[in-house]
Amino acid sequence: MIRTLSLVSALSLVLAAPAWAQDHDDHDKEHQEHKHGDDHKHDHKHEGETIDAAALTQEVRAAVAAGGDLVVADVLGVVCDFCATAMNKTFGKRKEVAAVYVDLDRKTLNLAFKPEMSLDDATIEKLVKRAGYKVKTIRRDVAVEDALDAEADDAPDRS
Amino acid sequence: MTRTFCVAAALLACSVNAAHGRPVSYQGGWTAIEQTDRQSSAVWIHYTLNPRLSLGYRGEWDRGQDYVFQGAQATALAKRWFGENYQANLYGFAGAGVAYGVDDNAAGARPAAFVGVLADWETRRWFLSYKARAIEAGEVDASAAQAARIGYAPYEGDTGDLHTWAMIEIDHRADNPEPVGVTPLVRLFKGPMLLEAGWSVLDDEPLFNFTYRF
Repeated sequence: MIRTLSLVSALSLVLAAPAWAQDHDDHDKEHQEHKHGDDHKHDHKHEGETIDAAALTQEVRAAVAAGGDLVVADVLGVVCDFCATAMNKTFGKRKEVAAVYVDLDRKTLNLAFKPEMSLDDATIEKLVKRAGYKVKTIRRDVAVEDALDAEADDAPDRS
Repeated sequence: MTRTFCVAAALLACSVNAAHGRPVSYQGGWTAIEQTDRQSSAVWIHYTLNPRLSLGYRGEWDRGQDYVFQGAQATALAKRWFGENYQANLYGFAGAGVAYGVDDNAAGARPAAFVGVLADWETRRWFLSYKARAIEAGEVDASAAQAARIGYAPYEGDTGDLHTWAMIEIDHRADNPEPVGVTPLVRLFKGPMLLEAGWSVLDDEPLFNFTYRF
């Protein structure tokens, strides 16, 4: 029995060792890519984008309509509702956040902030990490575009 | 004893406070898990200290070897791999406590400990996992078990939808009269709840797992 226990322990170590080594490699790469010392690694943020209102919940749309900023983060590893629950719980506790919605189809974390409030990129990344996931990109100043408004905008000017 | 354990498991499974599938969740999150397979039933209540470590209580009734284990379990996420469309995890876990014989097992209480490893890979369509564990409890029991799973989701549910998976689990328990088990099962989950129901086809035993994250 002791032999079996030892065997499983050894197997765990063998399997975990490359993973820990990979962690270290990732850490080194982060330092190489971010000389300014930020504890994050993601694409450059994009600003001034629009998002279809249909892709958001009523709560998020209402928070944005009330004057809150919408920030959309593309998150890696989001594959199930438990991922969504983790981020909903983590961000739902923050006083700055008016509404949060994790879109599994788009793999995005949608954060609607209270008016005059926000979270910086580093904080968002840290909270996503606490939830167990990783930010790929953060997009700010995202406008909500209603499909009907878009159709109206695209319609030819008859005046 | 059997009745007490079943009542406790049922209460936990039905608890409004209950939990989640993976043993490590988000920082500050609780997970309650009830697991019943062809040989044993277990309840866990875990608290996630940080995204890489959870600690909690584990109670387990081995119906085949007639013993109960009660103690603490630590689960460490050694590595999580992220991708656009997948997630993979490698966990190590260990526990210590007391085991004592019940029903036909006359052994008294003995210190007990176990160690194990769990790995999984998941997309929104496919799921693979492997788990191995060995327990040492002196004259009460000493055994090892391993199990592997493959699953397929017939559709990709969005946030809040009911997610459905068809899975098959193959396990090996050297101390079971039927050492190899084959268990087709259905996994359903929605929001913070996960439920699995299946049937071990070689020895006609049920599988029922329930997880709630809060």
